[in-house]
Amino acid sequence: MHADETVLRLENVQKSFGGLVVLANIDLAIDRGELVGLIGPNGAGKSTLFNVITAIYAPSRGKVWFRDSDITGAQPHRICRLGIARTFQLVRVFPTMTAHENVLVGAVYGSGGRVANASQAATEALDLVGLSARRDVRTAHLTLSDRRLLEIARAVASRPALLLLDEPMAGLNATEIKQMVDVIRRTRNDMGIAILWVEHKVDAIMKVCSRVVVLDHGEKIADGTPHEVATNRKVIEAYLGEPSS
Amino acid sequence: MSSKAGALIAAALVLALALLPFVPGAIDHYYFSLLFFVFIYAIMAQGWNLVAGYAGQISLGQHAFFALGAYTTAILWTGNYLWGSLYETHPRIYYFDPVTMVLSGLVAAVAAALIGLPLLSKLRGDYFALGTLGFGEIVRVLLINGGDFTGGAFGLVAPSGTFDTLLPHYWTGLGLTVALAIGIHLLIKSRYGLALIAVRDDEMAASSNGVNVLRTKVLAFAGGAFIAGICGSLYTYYIFHVGPDSVLNLDWMLLPLMMTVVGGTGTVLGPIIGAFVMYVIFDFARIWVPDYHPIIAGLAIILAMLFLPNGLSRLKLGILKPYSR
Ligand SMILES: Nc1ncnc2c1ncn2[C@@H]1O[C@H](COP(=O)(O)OP(=O)(O)OP(=O)(O)O)[C@@H](O)[C@H]1O
Ligand SMILES: [Mg+2]
Repeated sequence: MHADETVLRLENVQKSFGGLVVLANIDLAIDRGELVGLIGPNGAGKSTLFNVITAIYAPSRGKVWFRDSDITGAQPHRICRLGIARTFQLVRVFPTMTAHENVLVGAVYGSGGRVANASQAATEALDLVGLSARRDVRTAHLTLSDRRLLEIARAVASRPALLLLDEPMAGLNATEIKQMVDVIRRTRNDMGIAILWVEHKVDAIMKVCSRVVVLDHGEKIADGTPHEVATNRKVIEAYLGEPSS
Repeated sequence: MSSKAGALIAAALVLALALLPFVPGAIDHYYFSLLFFVFIYAIMAQGWNLVAGYAGQISLGQHAFFALGAYTTAILWTGNYLWGSLYETHPRIYYFDPVTMVLSGLVAAVAAALIGLPLLSKLRGDYFALGTLGFGEIVRVLLINGGDFTGGAFGLVAPSGTFDTLLPHYWTGLGLTVALAIGIHLLIKSRYGLALIAVRDDEMAASSNGVNVLRTKVLAFAGGAFIAGICGSLYTYYIFHVGPDSVLNLDWMLLPLMMTVVGGTGTVLGPIIGAFVMYVIFDFARIWVPDYHPIIAGLAIILAMLFLPNGLSRLKLGILKPYSR
């Protein structure tokens, strides 16, 4: 693959909190428009990885590259403006704003100039996730599923090259999950946005993603097609626990 | 009631207040000066509301910015240490001089930006609040030890010979109150307002969606200080004696804070309604039951908190709805 096709590259990224090593020597590259699943048991370091990419945490060691720029330790708002948007495991929408205003924040502030007409971009993003009918509803009154969709719309409105999704299906019912899969697919296919998608619903990841990365205890233990990953011995051990020798 | 009707009623009220001085005898009535103080407190409350209600940063240093504005006006007006007394050669130049008023706001705003940058980048929540309180104490020490420049513990006395009517104070106070309400309403509807609310609602989500959180907070803090500084300037034209005990009194921070909370934090009309209601209650308590005045004031605040947790302006009156968020 051509170098300029890579949107995100992690180089030997390590993160520890005090003595606790949460990420150990992570190397990872995401290409333009790619849809990559990121799985791993609880506490594997998935959310921490997102926080390091979006500079909420500085890595203890290693570098984060966005296209040709070294963004290690940049400010979070700059990283968004460059083109990396995200959602949060515990949804973070602006509760006193309407749905449309929420998305407007991404379009106005997050786009770094890629959006000419912010209000229209916000409307389109709400359309994409199917929330147009609720555009003027105060966010605090939305269901969990709608708030998760709204977070995605807000991220998409900033016209990112890469979108990081942290467990967008957590707490959703079967119907909502189908809708979410649909939104994720369209975000990738229609908008051409690369997606790194953390999820505990492994079957959904295996079905939708063409590439899956597995973290365990802060280490990348597998990176390949769903089939390769599902048959990887380390992965099976990580999910089933250590085999008794 | 529609928002249009609400705006019409507000406009009629403002017009009536503006024309009030033409009613015979009105100017000499006690309520006339009461209204002037309501305006002063409404302006201070609006300044605190911008920082706390909209940007979500609890500032306990508004009295310091009020004092900086008051001192700036007194120093410019008396020409203390700068050019002798310009006032003596041009008696009316520095009485209600708009340039002096704006400069007073700017001095407070610059001080707020300088102190806000380190405070807001390092401290959050309660710690930021305590930091601003500490800043007030620093300003007190500086003013008391400022020698002839600040007049030390006694302060500065401006030439009170210019004072013959409360009319300019009243109109300026009313004008500032109205202009501020309109200005803040427009500000909140603007791009910057979007950033303010985003920061208040969720800092991490705001920064992850492109909002420069520190910049947004510092601008709000400086804006709130600018408002307090202008208010201090206006007060100086009324009180003439500017000293650490009068203009750097904690009341200039606490009362506007209570008024905003009672009226409705994070609403445009809340600070005005709160200033009016609370000042009238305080004043009547002081006149009719002077011994129990603090008790009545305290009771009013407790009752308001118990029964109006979101403030008077968020009562379910259709007229106010479009102005609150
Ligand atoms: N700020 C922090 N300080 C100390 N330890 C932390 C911090 N953030 C995360 N950790 C620790 O890092 C480890 C990885 O946490 P992380 O949230 O990244 O896991 P995860 O893979 O997202 O798990 P989950 O699937 O439960 O969301 C955990 O042991 C967690 O306790
Ligand atoms: Mg997580």
